Parts: sequence; C-alpha cells; structure tokens
Amino acid sequence: MTTSTIEAVVPGEQIKESETDHPLGNGGRQIIQAHSEEDISNVLQYANEHVLTVNIMSGGTKRGYGGTMKEADILLSLANYKGIVEHSVGDLTLTVRPGTTLKEISDQLAESGQCLALDPPWPELATIGGIVAANDSGCKRLLYGSARDLVIGTRIVYVDGRVIRTGGKVVKNVAGYDMNKLFIGAMGTLGVISEITLKLRPLPKYEGLSLVHFPDGGEQKMHDVARCILDSMMEPVSLEVLTPSISEKLTGERLYTLVIAFEDQEKAVIQQEKWVTEHLPSGVTQTILSEQEASEWWDAFRHQGPNGHNDDPDATDTQAALKLGSLPSDVPANLKIAEELAGVHHVSLEAHGGAGHGISRVYLNGFPEDIIAFTKALRSAVENKHGYVICTHLPFEMRPAADVWGEKPAYFSLLEGIKQTNDPKKLLNRQRFVGGI
Amino acid sequence: MFRKKQAKQKPDAVASALITIAGKENVLYLKEDLLSYECDGYTLERGMPRAVVFVRNTQHVADVVKQLNALGVPYIARGAGTGLSGGATPRGGEIIISLVRMKRLLELDLENRQAVVEPGYINLKLTQSISDKGYYYAPDPSSQYACTIGGNVAENSGGAHCLKYGVTTNHILGLEVVLPSGEMMEIGKSGVPDQPGYDLLGLLTGSEGTLGIVTKITVNILKNPEGKKTALAYFDDIDDASQAVSDIIATGIIPAALEMMDEIAIEGVEASAYPVGHPRDIAAFLLIEVDGIQAGIDDQIDDILTVCKSNHVRDVKVAQDEAERSMWWANRKMGFGAMGAISPDYLVQDGVIPRTRLPEVLTRITEISRKYELRIANIFHAGDGNLHPLILFDARVPGESDRASKAGSECLQVCADVGGSITGEHGVGIEKSAEMRFIFSDEEMRAQTDIRHVFNPDDLLNPGKLFPEPGRCVEVKHNEKKEAAASIN
Repeated sequence: MTTSTIEAVVPGEQIKESETDHPLGNGGRQIIQAHSEEDISNVLQYANEHVLTVNIMSGGTKRGYGGTMKEADILLSLANYKGIVEHSVGDLTLTVRPGTTLKEISDQLAESGQCLALDPPWPELATIGGIVAANDSGCKRLLYGSARDLVIGTRIVYVDGRVIRTGGKVVKNVAGYDMNKLFIGAMGTLGVISEITLKLRPLPKYEGLSLVHFPDGGEQKMHDVARCILDSMMEPVSLEVLTPSISEKLTGERLYTLVIAFEDQEKAVIQQEKWVTEHLPSGVTQTILSEQEASEWWDAFRHQGPNGHNDDPDATDTQAALKLGSLPSDVPANLKIAEELAGVHHVSLEAHGGAGHGISRVYLNGFPEDIIAFTKALRSAVENKHGYVICTHLPFEMRPAADVWGEKPAYFSLLEGIKQTNDPKKLLNRQRFVGGI
Repeated sequence: MFRKKQAKQKPDAVASALITIAGKENVLYLKEDLLSYECDGYTLERGMPRAVVFVRNTQHVADVVKQLNALGVPYIARGAGTGLSGGATPRGGEIIISLVRMKRLLELDLENRQAVVEPGYINLKLTQSISDKGYYYAPDPSSQYACTIGGNVAENSGGAHCLKYGVTTNHILGLEVVLPSGEMMEIGKSGVPDQPGYDLLGLLTGSEGTLGIVTKITVNILKNPEGKKTALAYFDDIDDASQAVSDIIATGIIPAALEMMDEIAIEGVEASAYPVGHPRDIAAFLLIEVDGIQAGIDDQIDDILTVCKSNHVRDVKVAQDEAERSMWWANRKMGFGAMGAISPDYLVQDGVIPRTRLPEVLTRITEISRKYELRIANIFHAGDGNLHPLILFDARVPGESDRASKAGSECLQVCADVGGSITGEHGVGIEKSAEMRFIFSDEEMRAQTDIRHVFNPDDLLNPGKLFPEPGRCVEVKHNEKKEAAASIN
C-alpha cells in the first residue's frame, strides 16, 4: 500500500521544513527526526515508494565529508534515536542506538570499568552511528584496531524498510557472510544503521604518555625511533607523529614530536617508558606526563580540526580536513611532503599521522583554490607510494573540484553492484561516496 | 593370479581443457585419484568431484575459471582440506581447484609488519619462518600445522589466542582475488589501511570460498610478546570453572587464551599421544595464558591464581618452562583428534554463546547427551564463549550417526536460544547450512545471497554452501546425512 503523505508516516512534530542553505550541503528539504527503528523503516519505505532521496545525519560532525548534492528530499536525523540498549558487563559487549554520542557511551561504560576502544575526535558531538558509517578512528587504533575490529553486530534498515540483522551479539561469529563489514565506512549508502553491537575492553589500569621532541632536521631520527619501538617488544597504543605546527599548539614546542602512549598495568607502563628513554638518540627531549596531564592532553588532542559546526562563515579563510592512508613507514615522509606543499600553496597546515597504523590527518586553512591545488599535489605524491587522500571536510562548493574520494578503484564495478543490490534507486546518501555512489 | 590391468580411463572434455591449461601432471580425473577429495575435515557428507586441477599461479586460476565458466561447470577452491564444515566438499560433479602448490612466502616487510603469501602457504610455516626475527602470525587454529592461509581466509579461522588477538579477518591487510568472472582484482593494495570503498576485504574473508578465489594474501604479523605465562587450573565442579572464567575477565585482564576442557574431553586427551597426566577425577580444567610486557605479567598471573582459588580450584600451577607450556598446549590442540582414542567416531560442533551463559548452556548440553544417549565431550575457547561439543558415536551402530547429527544440531539450537551463533570459527559449509535458520530469517539470508549474486552471479563457484536450500529444514538434512553415513559404511 502506498502512503500518500509523510505526515501519515511519522508524527507532525518530528517533521520540519528545511533551514536555509547549509554551506556544507548534505541537507534535506524536509528534516525528519526518527525516534524509533520503526520511524526509520517507515520513512525509508515512504521515500522508496515515492522515489525520494534521503540524506542521513546524527551529530553532523561529518556533514563536510563527501556529497555533491546540496540537499536531498528528506534529511533523516538519528540524533534523537539514542541510548544504550544493552550493556552486558560480563560479556564485554554493548548494544547501542546510532544517535548516542561517543562521550555518552564512554561515560556510561566507565561506571563499570569498561570502555569502547575507539578514539576519534569530538567525542561529545560524534555519534556512534556516524563514527561507524564513516569508519572514523583515532590514533589508538594502533593497538586496539578500528570499527571493523570492534563492531560485532548491527541492525540495518534497508531502503525498502526491511530490517536486517548482521553479525550477532557474540564476539566470535562466522555464520554467513560478515555483512557488518559492508556497512562500516559505507557512508550510509547501503542502509541506515539502527543499532550497533560492539566489543568492549576493560578500562586500562594505567595510562602513560610521553612526548618526544625532535630538533629541526631530525625527521630521520624520528622515523628511526618509531621503527625501533615497532621492532621491539614494547606495546604502544599510539605512536603518532605531530608536525611542528600542531605540536606547538598541543605541546608548546614547534618541533616534530612523537606521541608515545602505553596503557597497561602501571608497572608495565613505567617499564616501557623507561625502555623508550633508554633507546632515544641524543639531542631529543622526552617529556613524560602524569596520568592527569595525559588525560588532559588527549582531551585537547581530540578537539582539533573541523567538526561540522565550527566553520566560521565570516572568515576569509576556509577550513578543510584530509585523511591520508599509506604504509605506516611512509607516514613521516608524507607529513613532511604535506608541510612543504603547504608552503608552496600558501595554506596553513596542522597534521598528525600514525607511524604504526598508516592513517594521517591533515587540517588546512586557506583560500579555496589554494586548498584544492594543495590537495591535488599531495594526492599525487601520496598515490605514488600506493597511498590515498580523501577529503573528510570541505565546504560543499569545493567538493567537485577537490574530488573528495580520488580515483575509482579498479574493482569499482563490484562496489556499484553492491550499491545496486541494496539501494537500486540510489536514494540513500546519493553521491556521497566513492565514484559518485 | 594376474588380473588384466584395466584400460586407463581417458580424460573427458572438461579434464582435457584443464590439462591444456595446467598440464597433464597437474590434473587428476581417475576415480581412484579423486576419492580423497570427496570431503574435507567434515566427513559425514561426501560428494565426488569431476576432476582436480593443481594451479601454479594466478594466471592458471583465472584461465581455469574462465574455461569452466564457458563450459558451465561448477568449481570449488580447496587448500589442505582441513575445514570442519564441508566448505570444500563437492556436492557432486564440481572441479576442485587445488591451491596447495601455490605455497610460497612472497614478501616480508618487517618495517610495516606485513607478509605476503600464496594461498597454499601453511599457517604454522609463516610463524616458523619469521620467528628468528622475533615475529609471529597470530591466528592459530588447532590444525595450523597443516591448514593453509588461503583456507583460513575463506573460513575466517580462529584459534586459541583470538580472545586477545582476534580472528583471521583482523589480520588480513590485502588480497589478490580471481572473481568468478575470471577477472583478477587486488583489494587492499599494498596493505594500506581503510581503502576507500566498501570493505571487500572484510566481506571476502569468511565468505567460505563463494565470492572469489584468493590467490595472494597480505597479512599482518606481530612481534612476539616480551613475557608469557601459562597456568593450568583443575576444578571439581564445572560451574566453579565457568565462574572463574567470568571472574578473570571481570578483573580487567584479557588473557591471550582461556581454554576449558571437561571430564570426557580430559579422558580423551589423556588417552591420546600427548598425555599431560591430568587428574582423572576432576570436572574441568582451565588453561590460561597471559602475555605482554614482562613487568606486568606476574601481577596478572597472581590475580588469575587468586580468582581460581576463590572459585574452589583443587589445584592450580604455572608452567615452569617452555617445555611444560608446549606439552600443555599440544595436549589441548590435539583435543579433537584425541576423541578417536575413546570413541570410534565423533562430531565436532562450534557454537558460540555469551560467556556469561556458560553454566546454563552446559546443563542443557548434558540434557542433550542424556536424550540421545551419546557422550558429549566439551572443549571450549571459554574466554570468547566458543564451545566445541564433541559428540561421540559409533557409525557402525545403526542410527547412531543420525542421533549424533541431531544432537549436534540441538547443541547449536541451545547456542542460538541464548543469543549466540551456530559457528564461531569452523564456518557453515554444508554441515550447518540448515542451522542458519536458527539465527537468520529467510529475508536476512536473502540479503546475503543477493550480495553473493554480485560476485558469483551464476553460482558456479562453490554452489550449495552456507545457505539452506529453499524449503530444506534440519529434519530433511538429518535424513540425508543418515543415508550418506549408511553408504559410507
């Protein structure tokens, strides 16, 4: 049966007409708040029947991430579909609704001495649905992995309103295809995630953080120190390289800095910090932070870069963010190249990258054309070493010229086939993903 | 008396085409040569392949696949054949593409902690070939001395240490794949993380050889832990052992391994080639391993000993040296095979439950054992709730194979009832395809077969696996199995 009006599908108070044009795009002419999985299913079924495009959003931190349509017919907001469904303390698992922020999750879990080992930026704004859909991560993925290692089950509302469960609620499960993986990082193009089950960890017993500063021209030394730690039996949770500009902001030193963190029993952390001290070359300085200082430092670190809400409409400069993927050993060199290209293209740059996991983040400020020129130059350099560059935050107008996702992969036809299978009318987050999917 | 030698059977058109591609020495087509390919490690169901072709390189795979597509002949990729769910077992008439001769270690990049191997490379060989440099490959299924990494990718294999280190999918960085179309694809190029696009790496891993044939694998390797300690704890009551498992996790320790065996399983391993001298009158033991930074290990093992003591452990000891630790592990890893010492036949199951439901599930498995009058030994990866009930039976006794199969299925129903899964690491294959209905609706399975269609539209690659045939319920399957078992014996 075809439903004639949206008001017949969700209560009127959950529907709003659109605000004015948003500079990040990815809006909708009608904004519909989902309060339940049933709402999501009803809205999608309605949209599918009427061939209406649907954009999906929760916290909006990734509103600047991809998308070459200013607005869809409907903006489906999951921000109010939040809360913990089940926290099974003894099983170290959590089932949660998509609109729950990472901070809300962390606060709740901490009461039971547990945590979700994901550390992307802006935890009080970023929701778990968005983090999983965009496969966002932080520097502790070095030891703890990323969303693909932690999500064990989901409920997905397909575009025709079907609710499909993927995975399950147990930590080990190979029944059927690992369908969870399809939706992680799919940018909402294959279905709407209405529930997520995740693997948890006990809170670390002790957290240690060392900042190691390298003098000008010490990039090779930094590379060597990172390699030396990775080739040792030490078990860092992060081994993040900071460029001088972001280091100045976060540590007060305008120098290349290596952020070395350990989380373990106190004795084990102290032992590892000692090991690092003993293996540092001459001419570098190491600051070991107290647990309290470390926690404040991470808090500051996780509040860098664009968040979908902090673009200044009156500024002459534009802000942008890039994600680089490369071999871990190429991270220091890629950051150095980025720094040099920033000079060439007159953009200001702050960047960091994981010397052990291969993901780097670049935050830019400058004129739009300079940002685009910089991005193209950096992409070409990074791709030469089998890496990639994605624009994770750009104003709507700049996205086509910057080419958010870069070249289509050779196996693009498979991606298209999967999209066609799940969303044949291409209604969900249209043009948000790789190759215009 | 000399019998006249039978005239040698000639290759049929399909076998001839395979010989043209791979050479005569790489194709088997005589019935007597094909017998050992009738099944994999799951032996209750069998089917005859049409031929076996040993491919030497990716181009061979692509050429064979294209040829078979043209002829409309179904095919199955196979590694060492150690799979436990019939994933590499023919339904009848398929071509087996054997990858065992693609067995090279192609690259080692210690700087990026990566190794590139061919699919026929044996799991344990990887660790052995990098151990002198202080590295190892974490996924360690019990069959690791024989199983191939290609097979591990197909099944998303686990092992005893996945509680802390994850299963195969957590260690795969890149794949070269020949699709059923014959096209070759490189996914996760050079091991660079988070490639833009849907996570095909994650989808292919564990797809049981139904989406593509993996021809090259980039894996993540790990540095050996600085310290390691292993404890063995004997309990008089299995509920105490279960509680100890939960309490260990509650202390905030994630052990590298946390294994449990019950009384019947212990009887088996003590009768095997690797006896440890476990007391014969205990209800269960826990084998617990912690690893990591040396300075933290003693505290962790002390905490674990305390937990065991507060749960009425009869005796608990820490391995004094590597020899003792290895002996304990060999005893554990031979657990399945050891059942052969106390029973003519056994059926391994592979359910998963939320760890906290262990005592209740054990009670229900005991009831199943009584109902079917079959002994059930239990070997668990207790830390992650992965149970391996081993149903002991004698296929020569009329009706026992059938009862064993039904008992196994009922154990999986119990796992599904408590919110678990029907398989944690062995895969669905042929064995558990009907049981997929315990945890997925028809609509949910269709969502999966729709994805299969994208990769494998003609269903020529490993047909009839993973998903139940429409209308085929568990009962029908049991009857088929009964017939199959009868025909074997």
